[in-house]
Amino acid sequence: MLSLNFSSVLHGQYLHWFLLGAICTLLLFAVSWVIGFLLSLIVVAVRSSGARFLVAAAAGFVGYHRNVPELVQLFVWYFGVPQLLPATWQQLINNTGNSEFIFATIALSLNVAAYMSEDLRSGIRSLPSAQLEAARALGLSYISSMRKVILPQALKVAVPPLVNQSLGLFKSTSLAMAIGVAEMTYVSQQVENESFRTFEAFAVASIFYWTVSFLIMGLGTVWSKRLNMDGTR
Amino acid sequence: MLRPLAAISHFIGLFLIATLSMTSVAHADRLKDIQAKGSLICATLSGSQPLAYQDPVTRQYVGFDVDTCAAVAKHLNVLMVHKPITVEARIPELALGRVDLVAAAFGYTKERAEQIAFTSSHYQIPLKIIVASDSGITKFSDLAGKRISTEKGSTPELYVHRVIPSASVVTFQDNASQFLALQQGKVQGFAIGMASGLRFVNESAGKYKFLDEALAYEPTCLGVKKGEPELLAAVNKVLEDMQASGELDALWNKWYGSQTKFNISRGKLIPISAL
Repeated sequence: MLSLNFSSVLHGQYLHWFLLGAICTLLLFAVSWVIGFLLSLIVVAVRSSGARFLVAAAAGFVGYHRNVPELVQLFVWYFGVPQLLPATWQQLINNTGNSEFIFATIALSLNVAAYMSEDLRSGIRSLPSAQLEAARALGLSYISSMRKVILPQALKVAVPPLVNQSLGLFKSTSLAMAIGVAEMTYVSQQVENESFRTFEAFAVASIFYWTVSFLIMGLGTVWSKRLNMDGTR
Repeated sequence: MLRPLAAISHFIGLFLIATLSMTSVAHADRLKDIQAKGSLICATLSGSQPLAYQDPVTRQYVGFDVDTCAAVAKHLNVLMVHKPITVEARIPELALGRVDLVAAAFGYTKERAEQIAFTSSHYQIPLKIIVASDSGITKFSDLAGKRISTEKGSTPELYVHRVIPSASVVTFQDNASQFLALQQGKVQGFAIGMASGLRFVNESAGKYKFLDEALAYEPTCLGVKKGEPELLAAVNKVLEDMQASGELDALWNKWYGSQTKFNISRGKLIPISAL
């Protein structure tokens, strides 16, 4: 009936494509995660600040990215935003030869920043309000008290949902295929189209995503153990 | 102890009988199944003017491929059931037996012929590259090292890799995105069959043009599942009849003829043995 032949998709040109796709996925994930995480810290600090205009702006940012599908966000950034820019800027972006990757990174990092900021916000809410009051009473500015007192504690609490978001981000990198980023999903489709070995091509992609997801979960466990306070799990 | 054992062995026995009888049904003639059902499941593309697209007013699927399907169904004395599919799904849908006939700009290649059975080629269209008229690109060698957009899994993608190997190919999901990438300067060329690409060139009012050279002349055929010789012979006979009676030319002229904005010639009906 079916004859599975993995070596037919794991040699020569196809293996080369798979490796490039894997590297692209990992790079897209790493860059989006770092930018998204740093941005989420800023967004959650702004959101908890109490200055009404800033809080509304942060809430609007989070609301847009949570309510619009990621694929639509990707299309808006890749096809929509360049049309709004002046022609010289468009030319500059096109000349990088890598505009797909850049726009995919922007879209994915903004999206994950919005979701991560909500997880951090729950972390902050789990802390007693006395923490912020005590920090302010000691003379720390709002930003310093966020940076040195509140966010470190909130992070310890929020590690499980943040690992969840990281896994989601890793799998969302496959959406970038729709705007031409040559990551793993795009490459596995390319291999399938050329070799007609449908199951083998997509099985390789599945095994890749599954393995790296396990690694991410492992990293999350290591991270939470290092942040461990006495008495917390 | 013995009663569950008896029940299990009964179940296994019934299961084996059911599977074995199903495998004998799997060898049945697809053409006979179609005639028994009274309907032919025919798949076409869905966003490709004028091959197969949704009429914006009536919301019905219309186009040259849709009409070809309907004509084949009429000649076989069955109803047509229409199914829209994507370019990449053409071969899997046939191989899995989910559709009977595919009329979807199906270019003949030897690799594809190993997966499905092609009918005689009912039209031949050059595969071309669209560029911006003011880009200064006039021949394929100007596109060396540049970026070209095409459809995933299509023959233009295949031939770009062969004819301009130094160009990097970027694929998007549908023709409109591929052309949009060209318009926004993200790619310098857009490789597509001339019949499908004419609408972009014509509607651009001179801003975009075809390069004179052709990547390849692609014979386009209908596709049926491999291993169904009766169905293949029946569809080929229908195509011959339609060619002889002029019906095929009439259908072509309706969508691509001189009074339409396309105005390209069809080519001939070429049997598969000659390809």
